[in-house]
Parts: sequence; C-alpha cells; structure tokens
Amino acid sequence: MSTTVKKEHKSARPERGGQATMVEAIRQGIWEEMERDPSVFVIGEDVGAYGGAFKVTDGLIDQFGKERVVDTPISEGAIVGAACGAALMGMRPVAEFQFIDFISAGFDLLTNYAAKCRYRWGAGLPTVFRGPCGSGVRSGPFHSLNAEAFFLNTAGLKIVEPSTAYDAKGLIKAAIRDPDPVLYFEHKKLYRLPRLREELPADDYIVEIGKARVARSGRDLTIITFGAMVLTALDAAEELEREGLDVEVIDLRTLAPLDKQTILASVKKTSKAIVLHEASRTGGIGGEIAATLAEEAFEWLDAPLIRLASLDTPVPYSPPLEDYYLPQTKDVVAAARKLAAY
Amino acid sequence: MNISTKYGPPEATNGEPLSCTTETTLKPEQLLELYRYLKLTRLVEERLVNLYRQTKVVGGVFRSLGQEATAVGTAYALQPEDFITPLIRDLGAVLVKGIRPRDIFAQYMAKAWGPSGGRDLNIHFGDMEKGFIGPISHLGDMIPVMTGILLGGRLKQKNFVGIAYIGDGGMSTGAFHEGLNFAAVQKLPLIVVAEHNQYAYSTPTSLQTAVKDLAEKAAGYGIPAYIVDGNDVIACYEVTKLAADHARSGGGAVLIEAKTYRRKGHAEHDDQRYVAAGEVEWWEKNNDPVDRFEKYLLQTGVTKDKLDEITVDVVREIDEDCAWAESSPMPEAEQAAYNVFDNSIVPPAFRPKVLE
Amino acid sequence: MSTEVVMPQMGESIAEGTITKWLKKVGEKVERDEPLFEISTDKVDAEIPSPAAGTLTEVRFKEGDTVEVNTVVAVLDGDGSVPSVKSVAEKPAAVEPPPPPVEAKPEPPPPPAPPPPPPATSAEPTVEDLRRTKSSPLVRKIAQEHNVDISKLEGTGLSGRVTKNDILSFIESGSPTAAPAPPAAPSQPTAPAAAPTAPAPSMPAELPAPPPPRPQMGDRVESMSIMRKKIAEHMVLSRRTSAHVTTVYEIDMTRVAKLREKHRDSFYERTGTKLTFMPFIFEAVNKGLRKFPIFNAQVSGEQIIYKQDINLGMAVALDWGLIVPVIKRADDLSISGLARAANDLADRARTKQLKPDEVTGGTFTITNPGVFGGLFGTPIINQPQLAILGVGKIEKRPKVMTNSDGDDFLAIRWMAYFALSFDHRVIDGADAERFLAFVKEQLESGDFSV
Repeated sequence: MSTTVKKEHKSARPERGGQATMVEAIRQGIWEEMERDPSVFVIGEDVGAYGGAFKVTDGLIDQFGKERVVDTPISEGAIVGAACGAALMGMRPVAEFQFIDFISAGFDLLTNYAAKCRYRWGAGLPTVFRGPCGSGVRSGPFHSLNAEAFFLNTAGLKIVEPSTAYDAKGLIKAAIRDPDPVLYFEHKKLYRLPRLREELPADDYIVEIGKARVARSGRDLTIITFGAMVLTALDAAEELEREGLDVEVIDLRTLAPLDKQTILASVKKTSKAIVLHEASRTGGIGGEIAATLAEEAFEWLDAPLIRLASLDTPVPYSPPLEDYYLPQTKDVVAAARKLAAY
Repeated sequence: MNISTKYGPPEATNGEPLSCTTETTLKPEQLLELYRYLKLTRLVEERLVNLYRQTKVVGGVFRSLGQEATAVGTAYALQPEDFITPLIRDLGAVLVKGIRPRDIFAQYMAKAWGPSGGRDLNIHFGDMEKGFIGPISHLGDMIPVMTGILLGGRLKQKNFVGIAYIGDGGMSTGAFHEGLNFAAVQKLPLIVVAEHNQYAYSTPTSLQTAVKDLAEKAAGYGIPAYIVDGNDVIACYEVTKLAADHARSGGGAVLIEAKTYRRKGHAEHDDQRYVAAGEVEWWEKNNDPVDRFEKYLLQTGVTKDKLDEITVDVVREIDEDCAWAESSPMPEAEQAAYNVFDNSIVPPAFRPKVLE
Repeated sequence: MSTEVVMPQMGESIAEGTITKWLKKVGEKVERDEPLFEISTDKVDAEIPSPAAGTLTEVRFKEGDTVEVNTVVAVLDGDGSVPSVKSVAEKPAAVEPPPPPVEAKPEPPPPPAPPPPPPATSAEPTVEDLRRTKSSPLVRKIAQEHNVDISKLEGTGLSGRVTKNDILSFIESGSPTAAPAPPAAPSQPTAPAAAPTAPAPSMPAELPAPPPPRPQMGDRVESMSIMRKKIAEHMVLSRRTSAHVTTVYEIDMTRVAKLREKHRDSFYERTGTKLTFMPFIFEAVNKGLRKFPIFNAQVSGEQIIYKQDINLGMAVALDWGLIVPVIKRADDLSISGLARAANDLADRARTKQLKPDEVTGGTFTITNPGVFGGLFGTPIINQPQLAILGVGKIEKRPKVMTNSDGDDFLAIRWMAYFALSFDHRVIDGADAERFLAFVKEQLESGDFSV
C-alpha cells in the first residue's frame, strides 16, 4: 500500500516581486493588499489552515489571523451575502469559490444583490469574488467551468481573467481597490505553469481594470482571446509566422467592461478577426465581441468574423473527449489560414 | 422531536478493541455478504489509488477509508426497488446496489466502456434499474432530486424509499435545506443519511455548524432522527431498517446521523495538514470498521480461513474487473459532440466549420 | 514489451513534481503496484507504485530533479506491462463483450439537415459571385474612395475575391499587380508599350519566410541601422532579380606593378594622391565595357537598355556598412583622374561627406575584397546593373612561364584572381569569358600611360 506524506507547512511571507508563478502572484497581491489596508479580508471554504483548494491563500491565516481569513461552511450563498454585508460596513472582502463551478450556488446573491446595489441606492460594494475556472485539466463537468457568460448579461459586475503572473497580481490588487464588485477568474491550468513564471516588480503596481493587452502585435489578422487561450493563440501565431502570416493577439484581461478601443484599433489595422474562447460558443463572449466589431468596425472588415470556442456541450472528462471539446492550437491555425486566404 | 441513540457509538472504549452490535436480524450468510462488500469497497479504492498514481486515473480519487461501514450497512438495509443517491465517499453503497467494480474502474479511467462513456468521472453516473442516482459535485443538490424521485414514485403509486447521503459539510448548503424541508412537508419516504466524518475538505464540523449532533437539525424540519455508530456495520444496517420501515409505512422523512471519521484527505492530493497529530492513527488503530466487523465475525464463530477466502475472491474480482476496464479503449473524440439533446431531434454539437 | 513510467499529476493545477527518491535501481525487478519512487509536489508528497511488473531498465531523472507532470521518468521492461486481457479471457464467465454504453454509443443520429440547396434560377448570385463582386466592407469602401471598379480586378482571395492587399497594391502601383481581368474576346494582340516600366517578368512569387531565430539567454539584440536594412533589401532583391553566374580569371599584374613602382613617387608629387592598382583596373574595365556594351546595360521588362555613359561604382567598406560611390563618366578620365576620383570618393565615404548623386547612377561595379586578403569571391550584382567585378588580393606567386626557347621556368610574379558575376538572363557565359579575357589582356600588357 502506498503512503501519502504530510507536507511541511510553509507559511512564510511571500517575497515582494521576484520570480513567481501565477498562483504565487495572486497570493502576493492579496497579501500586500491585506498589509496595506486593514479592511481587506479573505472569506471562503478551506481558505484558512488549508490555504485554499489550490493554495492561493496559503499562509495568510498565520500572518493575519482567523479574523481576517474566514473559513466558511459549504455555503456559497452565505459567502456572497456576507461579503456584500461586510462591504456595506466598509470592509473589502476577497471571497473565494473553491471552484468557479460552485458560483452557481451564490448566483442569486451575486446577480440580484451585489450587482444591483449601487444602481438601486448608491451603495457600491467593493468586493472581489475569485476562484479557479477553466477546463483542460481532466476534471469533468463540475470542475471545469468558464462562467463569464453567465455574468456578462448582468449589469453591475466587472469581470477579469489574467493570463500572466504580472497581470494576475496587478489585477487582483486593482480588483481589491475597486469600488464595485469584481469577479476575478483564475484559470487553474495556469496556476503553476512553468511557462508563466516571470520576474515581478518589487514595487507596488496595479493593472487597470478595463484595459486589454496586445500580447503579440501583427498585421495580417487579429486573435481576440483571454485566459489560457492566450497561450493557445500565441502558439498558433508562432506556427503561422513560419508560414509568413503575421498574427496579432489581444489578451482581453478584462471581460466586463470590454476594452473596445484596443479591440477596434487592432481589427481596424488587420481587417480580419478571430474571437477565441474556452467557454461554449453559443451565448459566449465571442458573440458579444463579434457583434461589437460588426457594429463599430464594419467598414474596416475584409472578411467574416470567426468565432472559435468549445462545443455546445458540458465539459467532458475523458482526455480525447475534452481535447475535442476545446479549441486546440491546430484549430486556431486552420481557421487563421482560411481567414488569411479569404 | 426525539433523537434515538439506541445504535449510537459507545461512550468510551476502555481499552477493549471495539466489535459490533450483537443484536441483529441478519442471517449468517448475510453477515458474510456484508463483510464481502466492506472488503470490496476498501480494496477497490486501494486499487484506484494505485491507478491514480500510475496516471491511469486522470481525475481525482476520493477515499472512504475508515467510514466504509456507513455506506455498506445503510444501503444493505434497502430493498432492490429502493433508491440511493450517494456522495463521493459512498462507493460501498453503490456496490451494494449492484454496480460492478469494472464500471467504477472504467469510469475513473475515463474509458469508453465506462457507464458515461468517458463524459463524467468516478461515481457520477446512474442506473435507474438498480435504483442508483449518481451525484454531481455540487453538494446538497441531490436532496431535492431524491425528494423528486420519491414524489414521482408516489404519483406512480409505487412504494419505495430513498436514501440521500449528505455530509457535515453538505448540510450547510441551501439546496439541502430546501430539499429536506419539502420532503418533510410532503411526508415523502426520504432517508437522509448524514455522514458525520468530521471534515469537509479541511473544514472541521465546528466551523460548519453550531449544533453538536447533526441529528439535532431534524427538529427544524419536524422529522425524527437517529444517531448511529457509523463504524459499526451492523448498527448501520439495523438503524436504516428501522428508518426504512418508518418511511415506507407513511411516516415521512427521517434523518440518520452516522458518527464516523474520514481517515484520508479530501482527495489523494490533500496532505491533511489541518488534522491534529495522532488523530488519524488513533482511528486506524482503535476504530476501523473492517477490523471491528472481523472481530465480531470471529467472535461469532466464523473462521479466519473463511474471511481470507472471501478476501481472495474479492481480489480476484477486482483483478478481473480492473483488467477489463484497462482493456477498454478511450472514447472516440467525436463522441464529445453527442447526446446533449436527443440527437434524433437536435444534431450533435459539432464545431461549426470555418469559412466553408 | 516496455512500459513508460510517468510523473503523476497530484492535483488539478499541479504542473510538476520532484523525484525525491528512487526505491528501485536500474536492473532490479519490480512487481506491479510495488512502490517505485517517491515524489514531492506543491500539495503533497507521495510514493508512486509501479504501473506494471518488470525490470527497471531506464531511469531518466535523478533524485532531486523536478519534472513536468506526464513526463516519462523511467522505463520498465517486462512481463506484465499491461494487465493481460488474455488472462481475463481465460475466464469467460468474467468477461462479457463490452456493452455498448447507452450514452457513449447513441444510435447513429441523422445527419444534420443540409442547408437548402441554392435555388436553381441563375438570377440568384452564388456565394462565389458575391465574394468576387462585393468583396468586403473594407474593400468596397477603399474602392469607392479611389473610384475603382472591384469587378474589374482579379483577386487573390477565396473565389477570386479582391482582398484588402489586392486593392491597395492596385492603387499604390497605379497599375494592378494582379492584372485586370482579360476582356472576354480580345480582338487583336495589343502592341507592346513604348516605355515599359513594369518589373521584370521573371520575378518569382514571394516565398514564405522561414521562422525568424529567437534570441537565447546572453545573446545581444539590436535593431538594424537604416543602411543595414537597405543593404539587406538590396542584396536579397538582387539575388531574386538576376540569374547570377560567376567566372574567375587569374591575371598577371606584374607589368602594372612595375609601372606603379616606377611612377609611385612622381605620381604623388604630381597629383597629390597615391597610385594604387585600382586606376589601372578601372581603365582596363572601361575599355572592356566599351568593347562589350552588354556589360554596361540594364534590363527593363523584356528590353535591354545600353547605357551611354560608363559610370563605375566602387564598393567602399565602412566600419558601419558598405557604400558604393560612383565615378561618373569614368572612361573620360586618365589614370591620374581615375586615381584622384577614386581616392577622393573613398575618403569622403569614410567621413560621410558623399552627396546623394555620387552614390547613384552606376552602370558597372568593381569591388575589392583583396585589400583584406581575399583571393576571390562571388559578388552580388548591384541592381539594376548586369555585372560586377571582384578583385582579389594582388600578391607575388610562383608562376610557370615559358621562355623564347620554349623552356618552362618558375617565376615570381604579381598575381590576382578577378571574379566576374554577371546576369545570365542577358549575358551568356561566352560573352563573360570574352570580356574578362579582354580585361586580362589589357592588364597583362601593361600598356597604360601614367
């Protein structure tokens, strides 16, 4: 019989800056904000001694105590509602969903209470709701969700999703300082990806919410994407470069409110666009972006807009099924080739 | 409302190794069958852990080590027409309901021959014929679903009962409350088995609920409750028999709290750093459900050879079923697109071709 | 049959694990499920059981190595790598044919309803027609702004669609790169244009560029200077334009060397400039170009333009690149005039004082890699010229010669290799041989007036 050995409990304060993976970057960001502002606190399931299912909040309880790192029952409704209430009292809660799939259990309070508070009576809720999203990790239909489309149609919720360690830290800090509710989605496949390990600045910085990033500039066509698909798009762009195609990749970073300026500027330059995302195609953010381009960049378009997304199915578990479900680099390459030849 | 503690855990062990409840209606061959299910549950899980570490299981593995008696004993008290909806730690109940290990192995290994064809994992599937409704990951959701199964059964004039398993964590959800409240109002034959294994992932019960015994919650729904020693397979059987009789005879919903202990982490990647030193070892040494039942059986005259013979047979079954599952192909990729809807009406969800 | 042992993924986000201990050595036998190695990850430490029975034949990582999940860390050779289905088959009671899982093998669904076929009437334009005539919003907008009829252009896109690039290059060039669609029924052949300006017809289609190299750690990256970019473009353009052939002659420069030695001091006193080998070579080339005018010509489309003036380009190496100043009307100049012009241009090239018209209008170029010691090279033609002469190192070499008695003897002579690259589109090998042989004859004769 094989054994499992308990890990040495590491709770040292993370470095400011330095080499960091995405999970370390998010932890640094929360940690620094908790040091900076005593109203910032963490709330969620298993976020205390265990440090969260993905260890994002690892060590916080030792530094800040259980008053500011609150372990909750399995009650997403309670987490969202309590975060809203605490925010009304001037606190800045950072609430964790163990997996974004479980955001559904807090859906009512998020969409009906958090999103509408400022609009109804002027009470902004400086709250962050964060958690691991995303597929491609063999976790099946209940641990692989990309939830953005559920909330894009709810006015009053900002939505961000980083694809680099730098942005992850800058965005969590910006989200914590934001006066309104921010849904902060973390692609679990990126948490510890060695490819994303990078040197972070030692100085305090934020990444402004509402600003996209040109992840790669090019002139022939634009791929608009975010999250783990940024890597897929960059891989595809590299492959296409060998064929002489110069592809621009836009990393949205913020999904609501959309940075139309960056998207439009890119597509006006290249005249051709692919919108790439991991959630199912129908009703996904790709439709919103394509519609925006059709409305505001029609006269600059030299080809139909292409949406590349996952199948309109739940996320399947088995590797061949999940690989088929998700857009792969080869799918992006094939679509880009056709679009370029149009 | 009353809480029956007749089958509750013993007050103290006073050093004597624990055995099982001696008063039982179970026949000798049933006792041996119970033993077989206990061993099957434990050894299937051990095989799954190995398959996981050998990367043949690509998702997580969730053990019921130390609490197998609750799932096996409670499910064994049901009739074939009765239903269960288990938690991830109720593999024993699933096996008792007649699901074969090979289905479990194929399911965990994401194989084409698994009951969901690789679409979902572990025990996330179902078999209406066998009265097995697979759970989803969202805890509490299966309580209202089982309530609906029973409501449907009543509308179809069928007389069966259903067990919905829940844990000390899952009882904190809104869905649990809504489902049980409705079943209680409707006097539906719902048996909620609340497995009090003391941890929800890393969260101890003290951070989950302010009641001492989960059974106290029954008062809020106006239903009777039982507390049972969840590591005593016979007690689990007997208490469920009582609850099922109550439910089947029109008495409505009941709550059984099974006191037990989760000896492994939430899943194989959990190192249990939050558990006090020595705690797991104490339960392993002093209150292991398989050890206790073996002791009971030996006390009642069953020979060690007989028990070994059963274990050998269990290992044989596991070897065969595991080999069968491993020989299954992985699913065809295109299968991902099928069965979102009835494909005779809505075509499969293939990715639209670009610029064709 | 061998089995690969991989680093397991202990948790959804875990990307790598560290091998902390090998429990078996290479060559040792291991049972299936027997602990094989120990790992440590961000979440948990664990002992990893062998996936199969067999002998450990290869260990790819040592203790302490951190490897990505699913990386093969060891290989087993063995007896029971995969659970044998055969052993199961021997117990037929235990196996049933795999059931077709209800969900996984649905009844073959009816194929998705095909789109309704296009109406048979020819009045409705097809998608292809629409692509050709409507192109895209962008192209329509550009077409409107520049008053271009899209339907008259031949496109390179899908269904012959006029793409953004097609219309932009049409407008930029003033004439289409993609020729206009031919008229349906040409009545008679059109006369050739009087003043052709179209690029060479032999220009090959653009090939896909190879992937650019990526800098490695420690490499230095800097942007090209404007001069460097121009040289790069110019060189590549030349290789794509001309059919380069190079021929090499060895020329005896002894007589020129003697002349140079004889006049060196007086020449400097008289002219204020040094007497090098180059003015002699220039003069020999001038005579050659007059005798063989194809070497002083240019190609335009399907026509050859013979230049009136001989404007000799001379490549000057600079610390920051290369420049080719031009000696205009070189055949009007004497040896001293050539020497003065050459030295003056070279000096001013090195001090960045050349005027724009002093680097344009060349009709033939001479390059002199020999100053660095090079024996000969294969120079690239300076477009739109048709040939370039490379002068190798002029040095004393042993040379077999024959005296008037017909006896061979070894002599020490000033020798140099002259490499002529020419454009085989319009100059054949025999022409090049004659030209270079003539230049050789001139130089070896030593018939120059200094």
